[in-house]
Amino acid sequence: MEVKINTEGAKTLVELNGRIDTTNADQFQKDITPLMQGDAMDIEMDCSGMDYTSSQGLRIFLMLQKSVGSRKGKLVLKNMKAQVREVFDITGFSNIITIQ
Amino acid sequence: MNKRKFNPIKDKSAEIIEYIMASPDIPDDEGLQFKIRLSVEEAVENVVRYAYQGGIGWLEAGTELSDDGLELTIVLRDAGTPFNPLEREDPDVTAAAEDRDIGGLGIFLCKQMMDSIEYRYEEGCNILTMKKRL
Repeated sequence: MEVKINTEGAKTLVELNGRIDTTNADQFQKDITPLMQGDAMDIEMDCSGMDYTSSQGLRIFLMLQKSVGSRKGKLVLKNMKAQVREVFDITGFSNIITIQ
Repeated sequence: MNKRKFNPIKDKSAEIIEYIMASPDIPDDEGLQFKIRLSVEEAVENVVRYAYQGGIGWLEAGTELSDDGLELTIVLRDAGTPFNPLEREDPDVTAAAEDRDIGGLGIFLCKQMMDSIEYRYEEGCNILTMKKRL
């Protein structure tokens, strides 16, 4: 799993590559901690390179959504692969996180 | 059935998952592999994390293809605390973010990705049998 975080003006752009599973979920959580603790209001994640997520990954997306939501910011996940999208759909996560 | 016993299993989730996914019974189809891997990860994690309360214990993982090659069976067996994960209530997938917690999501995903899941407790063992039509 690779996480790249870039700031472009007021927008925070994040690129996710690889799999989020039981082996690296803790690392993924650490990698995006700056997004949870910081004050980024407008976060856009490019998920085109994300191949897989289990409930371990969903847990972290939920934490991020809660923290961004609590400061009235916006989190958008973009370009998600169909199978990953299905995991978000089945679990209802598509209704609580904006996916484009 | 292709099977192997892992002992101990503490911190061995990845090894067990990769053993199952490398089985010759697993179909050579990316879409199916995604669904199978997700179910396997959630079910194996469940045992590794909770069956022995994090202590020492074993897990036997097995895979089998039906004679006609159209159905995959995955069996996980452990001697941990008797626990039927299927009795757990499904999470409310319509709840708002603030009200969501992650509990129960793993087994829920298993149920959604597989065609059937059965649990039984037999001779001191938890036995979880997952089937997927190929």
